[in-house]
Amino acid sequence: MKLNIDGLLVYFPYDYIYPEQYSYMLELKRTLDAKGHGVLEMPSGTGKTISLLSLIVAYQKAYPLEVTKLVYCSRTVPEIEKVVEELRKLMDYYTKQTEAKNDFLALALSSRKNLCIHPEVSALRFGKEVDGKCHSLTASYIRAQHHSNPSQPVCQFYEEFDAVGRQVPIPPGIYNLDDLKDFGRRKGWCPYFLARYAILHANIVVYSYHYLLDPKIADLVSKELAKKSVVVFDEAHNIDNVCIDSMSVNITRRTLDRCQTNVETLQNTISRIKETDAAKLREEYSRLVEGLKEANVARETDMYLSNPVLPDEILQEAVPGSIRTAEHFVGFMKRFLEYLKARLRIHHVVQESAPQFLKDIYEKVCIDRKPLRFCAERLRSLLRTLEIADIADFSAITLISHFATLVSTYSKGFTIIIEPFEDRTPTIANPVLHFSCMDPSIAIKPVFGRFQSVIITSGTLSPLDIYPRILDFRPVTVASFTMTLARTCLCPLIVGRGNDQVAMTSKFETREDFAVIRNYGNLLLEMSAIVPDGIVAFFTSYIYMENIVASWYEQGILENIQRNKLIFIETQDAAETSMALEKYQEACENGRGAILLSVARGKVSEGIDFVHHYGRAVIMFGVPYVYTQSRILKARLEYLRDQFQIRENDFLTFDAMRHAAQCVGRAIRGKTDYGLMIFADKRYARADKRGKLPRWIQEHLTDGSLNLTIDETVQLGKHFLRQMAQPFRQEDQLGLSLLTLEQLQSEDMLQKIAQIAQQA
Amino acid sequence: PKKNVSWFPQKYKAAQTVFNIDKKCQKISPDGKAKIQLQLLLHTGESTTFHFANGSTALKDRDATKELLQQLLPKFKKKANKELEEKNRMLQEDPVLFQLYKDLVVSQVISAEEFWANRLSLNTVEHSLSNNNKQEVGISAAFLADIRPQTDGCNGLRYNLTSDIIESIFRTYPTVKQKYAENIPHNMTEKEFWTRFFQSHYFHRDRISTGQQDIFSECAKQDEKGLKSMVTQGVKNPMVDLLSLEDKSLDEGYGTATVPTTSNSSNKSLRENSNSAIIKRFNHHSAMVLAAGLRKAEAPSDQASETSSTDGNSRDSDFFQPPLKKVKLQESIEYDDLQGDSGRQTIALNLKKSDRYSHGPIPLQSQHYTTSQDIINSISIIQHEMRNYKPRLTQVMSSNAASSAITALSPGGLLMQGGGQQTINQLVPTDVQSELKHLYTAAGELLRHFWSCFPVNTPFLEEKVVKMKSNLERFQVTKLRPFQEKIQQQYLSTNLTGHLEEMLQAAYSKFQVWQTRRMMRKT
Repeated sequence: MKLNIDGLLVYFPYDYIYPEQYSYMLELKRTLDAKGHGVLEMPSGTGKTISLLSLIVAYQKAYPLEVTKLVYCSRTVPEIEKVVEELRKLMDYYTKQTEAKNDFLALALSSRKNLCIHPEVSALRFGKEVDGKCHSLTASYIRAQHHSNPSQPVCQFYEEFDAVGRQVPIPPGIYNLDDLKDFGRRKGWCPYFLARYAILHANIVVYSYHYLLDPKIADLVSKELAKKSVVVFDEAHNIDNVCIDSMSVNITRRTLDRCQTNVETLQNTISRIKETDAAKLREEYSRLVEGLKEANVARETDMYLSNPVLPDEILQEAVPGSIRTAEHFVGFMKRFLEYLKARLRIHHVVQESAPQFLKDIYEKVCIDRKPLRFCAERLRSLLRTLEIADIADFSAITLISHFATLVSTYSKGFTIIIEPFEDRTPTIANPVLHFSCMDPSIAIKPVFGRFQSVIITSGTLSPLDIYPRILDFRPVTVASFTMTLARTCLCPLIVGRGNDQVAMTSKFETREDFAVIRNYGNLLLEMSAIVPDGIVAFFTSYIYMENIVASWYEQGILENIQRNKLIFIETQDAAETSMALEKYQEACENGRGAILLSVARGKVSEGIDFVHHYGRAVIMFGVPYVYTQSRILKARLEYLRDQFQIRENDFLTFDAMRHAAQCVGRAIRGKTDYGLMIFADKRYARADKRGKLPRWIQEHLTDGSLNLTIDETVQLGKHFLRQMAQPFRQEDQLGLSLLTLEQLQSEDMLQKIAQIAQQA
Repeated sequence: PKKNVSWFPQKYKAAQTVFNIDKKCQKISPDGKAKIQLQLLLHTGESTTFHFANGSTALKDRDATKELLQQLLPKFKKKANKELEEKNRMLQEDPVLFQLYKDLVVSQVISAEEFWANRLSLNTVEHSLSNNNKQEVGISAAFLADIRPQTDGCNGLRYNLTSDIIESIFRTYPTVKQKYAENIPHNMTEKEFWTRFFQSHYFHRDRISTGQQDIFSECAKQDEKGLKSMVTQGVKNPMVDLLSLEDKSLDEGYGTATVPTTSNSSNKSLRENSNSAIIKRFNHHSAMVLAAGLRKAEAPSDQASETSSTDGNSRDSDFFQPPLKKVKLQESIEYDDLQGDSGRQTIALNLKKSDRYSHGPIPLQSQHYTTSQDIINSISIIQHEMRNYKPRLTQVMSSNAASSAITALSPGGLLMQGGGQQTINQLVPTDVQSELKHLYTAAGELLRHFWSCFPVNTPFLEEKVVKMKSNLERFQVTKLRPFQEKIQQQYLSTNLTGHLEEMLQAAYSKFQVWQTRRMMRKT
């Protein structure tokens, strides 16, 4: 249908529309008009993605000079592909309606592993291997060698692309990852570099967060994206953690050992080159003297990670003299390495700030701040000069150089924690140096600064005001949309007690209580008897799940559950879990029914949807607080309190509740879907927890469902499931939660819609 | 009715062999009565009374017989009921058969037994076939839990195994079955085997395997291998592949996530190890149970079953990947309620040769092509002949014959009846048509019985063929004749029953031939 959103003609590729989609588009339009940032929360399964795409594409078509590009960031590869497919649907609709040829170019970009078509390279299993092998075939000096010595293998696909691919622009259309590969195969061009090149003039780019938030990668990939772009972060409820991750470094003893070998290899290579090709090193030196930051012109294929610090922090001056010659630099790295080794040889925990660390390193080994800041750049230049083919081997020294640059660049927002052993195993020495970013706003700041509109959206962003605070930006719109429902298809229940009236909670003091574990087991057992098909249960941590599963096994609870359903359990091995997950779906599919035991914050809880019969009930055992004893977390909490005036408890609860909401939200993926959401912890009943759940869940939490026993839960659950199992037709929704164009245009409907969006 | 109870007076006692009892109940005479009798009431309503006459032992004999029959009765009752049920079901499911039954049995053309005699045997075959195709009973995931150990009072444990459980164990863990086949009976007794099974860590999932002499340690290893191969095979559905979920190929060391501790077993306590072993076993167990349920169903689809039998993974790897990925992607972005009712999802007709479907079968013709040159040639030849045409007046037809030939050839004429075939269903009212249909099926059934007797080489068949002939005659008199008369009353000119009669005549003449030959042989 064609919509009029505040004066903008929007093509919407469906015959019907959800009221909240209309409302969402209105808010989005306002944000774009104001050229500002926005925070929008709308439940999953209400067609958020298509609303976003419809509006922004319409906006781009209407005002091609105002918004030149849409950069859509999502979290997982399947999500990225889904977005592109939705976009294809939209574009098909455009061509059908306007009968004009599509002139939009939209494409997905992913790592080499997902795009490579070279028969040998793409057969490699891990992304790192693919990257390394690709580099060894496409690096600029390899290609130069190939010129003089044709037996030197190069990648034909890249050569082909390099020869002609840039002159002929890729024809307009929608290119998903597989389409890019097909196109690449047809033309004989490398799809990865084609995509990297094409994003510069594409109208829509869909890729992963890292390409924009991680300075090491963003500098290579997204440097030249136009300022007049709209950036969307979908599934953004965890965006702060992505930001922090992209700036943090961990150093173990193993890293240092590997770094040691790297240094030795460098040294040998230098002395060898000195004998054969001393001119090369001299040339590098003179370039460094001249103040060229990078001694060689970087080619796109020379895939050294870029500088880990943000562009505006990179010093625009010549590399200091002390590390200018290759030998000096290697000597410098050696000294730094020895210092780190000494630091790791401790028996107690040390926590210090970056300035303290710099002071200490100056006192101990006389290393200045300035050369440290250039470490990453200098190493890059050296690796390039030495023509190191297998850069994957040099990941350790790269990591150390990044640490050096980061620690000497940022004096605030970071902390250094050196732990001699893990908390759980105090007898085993396993020293780790955590250099950890505590301020997510550091990494995302350039994004907010550079692009005119940044939209942060997800199904769970409550409480809405916290994101602008921790990410430090001023949004023009902050809104939460509820899900309009013709029937209440979600049923949140808070179970606080067992049938024996013993309180159920994963609180630290009582979590190992026999009665609590047994009650949790009974809850799962009872639910397995009444819920059809799939049940997903989440635990607060992996260790807790292991313990509970073991004691359930000893108590015979699992056996009884097996009478009703098959049991699959997430493990720490991703491949094993994938297998379990697929079997779980198979068991749901063939009617046998299954239970998946999983972990909040785990991969399953973040990336897998349990639509329809794959998840008829989700049980959240306990409140998924982050492991509070972690020193990194403590430091972060302290920082949040000092910098943003966010109280520790508020943040912890917020963090726990967003993960809980993520977990239970996995089951509802649309209005025709339905599922039970069982919060099995009495603490959920408290207002401070409940109030932090997304609005669309909170709305359905009645006072009667706040502190239930297992029996009561079973009764309510049975009733709910029986109701939901009745046929649900489109007519039931029409006019309430599903609108035709005429219905949408009616006056009182527009008034109703205005109430859907709740401004924070 | 069949002889259900055969009675052999043997030696001094009356011993009896009971073959097949189709009886409802038995009655005995009261104890005080002079005559010692046993009455059998059959399902057909008839009853047979046995009189025990051998004096002193009569009472005892009668009681013994009674006892025996009492034991047998419920068994056969069940069978009889089952047969009845089966017949009933068949009649309900098959309207044609039901009509046939009405036409032939209810109107007493043939007896019920004759009707079923041929059918049921046919059916038991079919039935057993359909039984095979029936859904396999799956395996309860908790079958191991059903083996509740009970203490036997003197520091021992008793496990109760049923054949169902053993079957479940074998189906779920083929390796155990293999061990069983290897060791029983030459290495150990069955009891010993299961004792060892329960003693082994294999049954107790949380124990870490230690003993080498344990015959099941190999099973555990194989399971481990199976699990590994399942894992390395990866998953088919890209949406659940956690390995390729993230789009980041950074080295370890970046990020705040706790560094993957060098997760060697040395780092973990024994308890943690056993915990994760339990988890692994549960996953494996569930996968095996699931695969065991699917295995049977997939058995005909040959190649897939090979992998499934060993590692519980039922499909060959990523052969179908791209389309599956597309489908799953499409599925996940589908909003069925937003879409207008663009018609129901229909199943596409999968045609190997679509032209065949739209044209229907055509008679095979000799491939004779005429080129345009041929045609031109033949035309010129005809023209040539016509030019030189001279009528041979001596062989001209009479004008009468010519005009009758013309009428016969004109529409509605005798020789143009072929074109009238379309009109026959308009000419004949539908009730007559359906009656005719019934007659055809009935006649077909009878004829089938009749012809199935040939070659007549047993006395039983002789008897049957005679009976069948009389059945046919009866059919002609009671069914066909009235129908013919009815048609005549409705002044339908077309001969509808001609073909039926021809079929009957063919049967009669066959019978005639057979009979005369038999007479000749006898004399």
